[in-house]
Amino acid sequence: MSILDLTISEIHQALVNKTTTPVELVKEALARAKANNDNAFEILIEEQAIKEAEALGEPEVDNPFWGIPFVLKDNFSTKGIETTASSNILNGYIPLFDATVYAKLKKKKAILIGKTTLDELAMGGTGTTGHKGTTFNPWDPKHERLVGGSSCGSAACVSAGIVPFAMGSDTGDSVRKPASYAGLVGFKPSWGRISRYGLFPFAPSLDHVAYFTRDVKDAALLLDVLAGRDLHDATSSLEPVERYEEDLSAPLKGKKIAVIDDIVQTISDQKIQLAFKRSCEELAKQGAIIEHIRFGEDLLQSIYATYIVISCSEATSNDANLDGIKFGPFYPGKTYQEVMFNARTKGFSELIKRRFVIGSFSLMSENQDILFRRAQKNRRKIVNRLNEILAKVDAIYVPAAPSVAPKIVSSSYKLSDEYLIADNHLALGNFGGLPSITLPLMLEDGLPVGVNLTGAAFEEKKLLSLAAGLERITGLANLSVLNKKEGNL
Amino acid sequence: MNFEAVIGLEIHVEMKTKSKMFSAAPNSFSREPNTEIALLDMAYPGTMPIVNKQAVINAIRVANALHMTIDHELHFDRKNYFYSDLPKGFQITQQFRPIGRDGYLEVLGRDGKKKRIEIERIHMEEDTCKQLHFMDYTLLDYNRAGVPLVEIVSRPDIRNGTEAMHYVEAIRNIVLYSGTSDGKMEEGSLRCDVNISLRPYGSDAFGTKVEIKNINSLKNIEQALDYEIERQSASLLNGTPIQQETRRFDEASGKTVLMRVKTSAVDYKYFPEPNIVPIPLSDEFVNQAIATCPELYDAKKERYLAKGLNEADASIILSDIAMSRYFEKALPLVKNAKTLANFLIVEVNGYLNKNAIGIAEFPLDEASMAEISNLQDDGFTHKQCADIFNYCLANKVSPKEASSALQIEKQVVDEGAVLQAVNAVLDANPQSVADFKAGKDRAKGFLVGQVMKASHGKLNPAAVSKVMDEELKKR
Repeated sequence: MSILDLTISEIHQALVNKTTTPVELVKEALARAKANNDNAFEILIEEQAIKEAEALGEPEVDNPFWGIPFVLKDNFSTKGIETTASSNILNGYIPLFDATVYAKLKKKKAILIGKTTLDELAMGGTGTTGHKGTTFNPWDPKHERLVGGSSCGSAACVSAGIVPFAMGSDTGDSVRKPASYAGLVGFKPSWGRISRYGLFPFAPSLDHVAYFTRDVKDAALLLDVLAGRDLHDATSSLEPVERYEEDLSAPLKGKKIAVIDDIVQTISDQKIQLAFKRSCEELAKQGAIIEHIRFGEDLLQSIYATYIVISCSEATSNDANLDGIKFGPFYPGKTYQEVMFNARTKGFSELIKRRFVIGSFSLMSENQDILFRRAQKNRRKIVNRLNEILAKVDAIYVPAAPSVAPKIVSSSYKLSDEYLIADNHLALGNFGGLPSITLPLMLEDGLPVGVNLTGAAFEEKKLLSLAAGLERITGLANLSVLNKKEGNL
Repeated sequence: MNFEAVIGLEIHVEMKTKSKMFSAAPNSFSREPNTEIALLDMAYPGTMPIVNKQAVINAIRVANALHMTIDHELHFDRKNYFYSDLPKGFQITQQFRPIGRDGYLEVLGRDGKKKRIEIERIHMEEDTCKQLHFMDYTLLDYNRAGVPLVEIVSRPDIRNGTEAMHYVEAIRNIVLYSGTSDGKMEEGSLRCDVNISLRPYGSDAFGTKVEIKNINSLKNIEQALDYEIERQSASLLNGTPIQQETRRFDEASGKTVLMRVKTSAVDYKYFPEPNIVPIPLSDEFVNQAIATCPELYDAKKERYLAKGLNEADASIILSDIAMSRYFEKALPLVKNAKTLANFLIVEVNGYLNKNAIGIAEFPLDEASMAEISNLQDDGFTHKQCADIFNYCLANKVSPKEASSALQIEKQVVDEGAVLQAVNAVLDANPQSVADFKAGKDRAKGFLVGQVMKASHGKLNPAAVSKVMDEELKKR
């Protein structure tokens, strides 16, 4: 096993002990990236990465990110590095500024080795719609399965062992769902906890910076670095930043965990049901108090529609700046309307255009009451219900997905409860801006499935502590295709 | 007149802040095109809006001056449309919750009576980029993209061009004196769009609305509206219905001309701006913004009148904010505000006009101006003081140096001395006295001249003239 296959905190020890060097790590990460054939990269940043690694002096003992290679989803603005959000409309776009999260990681001397694929403009959950085509699940060498999206490339990179952590974004479940399919920890802190400055917007009221790691401790360490107020993002919170790794070994005794039965029950996969049940029993055995509750089926069934209306409405407005005039490929035309029309016709895929049409339709003044405003009101109802639950318990606990990574050609019945609820409930965390974390539960025929814990806003520390307890139960910390495990459940 | 005009105004005011409404780019005029741009102004992906605090303070001040209810929570919304001057594809504005609503202004109507014009709302928004259209291409200047604006929307309470003009003038004075804007219509920092419709007197219904865009002076507002009222009246009397259209005012002909016929209204698909969470404004913040507002036009005018200026003097000085600043700096140093005002209105303005400069470039400082003004109140003649004024400007010297160079001495007004000199001249010129008695008025001028000559100009001519009249009567 290579040092690169360890967690961030373990690699850090090796760097401090000089068992390895940043240059060695970066070179190995780049070599693995080049050997990988999951179609995870928009761009590899070889020269700059090696140069940065070489320029590092003595290890910084108190800085766990010193010399650690990582990747960014290609919807984070990176100065001087082409950033396309996997959309043809941004081909050749070289940003003039760094996203705050990239700037923070750079300052911590973590080393960016590449930018990863996504569903076009982060709209999509399959990892198949980017302009470079499908990104495959590293757990399936036959390339028959999705890794999920939209943060597909970042998920693939971490589960393929290329880097120990990867930045993504999560508007509906775009990190937490792929984390389930890829056997990773996928963490989305509260809305406002991490600055979104430089993250290409999809739907700002739902957008979150999120990321993949291979264990809960790394997720906590990363939040230490990324959390905080940013003067470039007026929605970033003034809540004080904590030391998120402090309570990771706290016992589970007395912790209240709500299981939402009307989500769990929609899952038809009995192996997942069984493993989930066992995990609940183990939690109870360790003194946690499991409360079975019902969220309300009507509200759960409305998640997907509510999400689509709000996210598409915001998206159609956010992406109106992509008009072929200021950046991206220029398509000539006789009038400015023609220039915009040509750029947007050729630059966006059909799927994106469909979403814009849905959003635009929802915002039309004659439709706003029955679509956009109705969705907003419903979102409020859902969030009220969530907060009502979270006022009484420490976290909500449910399976992150109804299945292992689906096959690329498979399709689900979009009006079934399993699809509407079990496949879409992670958006609850986006509606409420709540901290939400997915971690591996089990492996089913060699493919991982995750569970999800969601807590009250800005209670990341408590949530991570619970997640660490659950991780001890599953025995699946630091899982990757190069570091396969059986797990305890 | 058979019809009543119903007029509503939308006024856009560019705010004079250091930076733009939502970005850190500098906000100043007359720079090289496309040199004052932040990433947000060009809508680079991932950039986010940050509300300009000074713009909020300015908007509060204007809202307060317009007697509006101020919202203590800031909300912003997106107005979505595709246009070449709109980099983001949407404009951030305050559609659903403007910072101020339900205000009014009292303005002079055509009959000279005060009339209350109700104001529906004032809201903040960002300007678009500037477009220069040529035959087959358009140039874009993003310097203006994101410049903070307030938009002030009146209720349709205005009935003629004169009221409209006075309304805009009052608003210009408020934005100017509150430090919100330089309020220059001709440069576009105060832009005025007018909605006008006609209806028969006594009717409550509204006629078809015509919009007149971008009128660039106060006088043109009056002219454009008065013309438009006539045009629409004539058209209605002809039996030709008014069509919903946008017109502009053509200065050369004094007429409004058709720009475009309005088809169905654009749907701007407004929705709340998700990148700005509602910002609570504390009572303290709002009160502080109001308390620290620079003194407004009306308050200044009242103060000037109390200092002894008449309405016309006060208006002239206040018509130029820089002039009023100059006046106020000199004011504490002078014995008589009216004397100072006269110097500013006649001598100073004369000098500025002759040299085509503004008061900012006027070389004489306020203290020197006050000194000259005080000389007049100490008994020097206005003519003497004007000579000193001119000498100071021509030779770049202080008033003291000027008066000694000009050897100007105070004229004698003492009655005894004047009486003695007058009688001496009358005694020596019996023929002139006789001429005067015979009805030749010119003789008096000669006699006064003789007195002045004999006293080497040291006697006050007014005093001499007065005593001369009395003494001639006695003879």
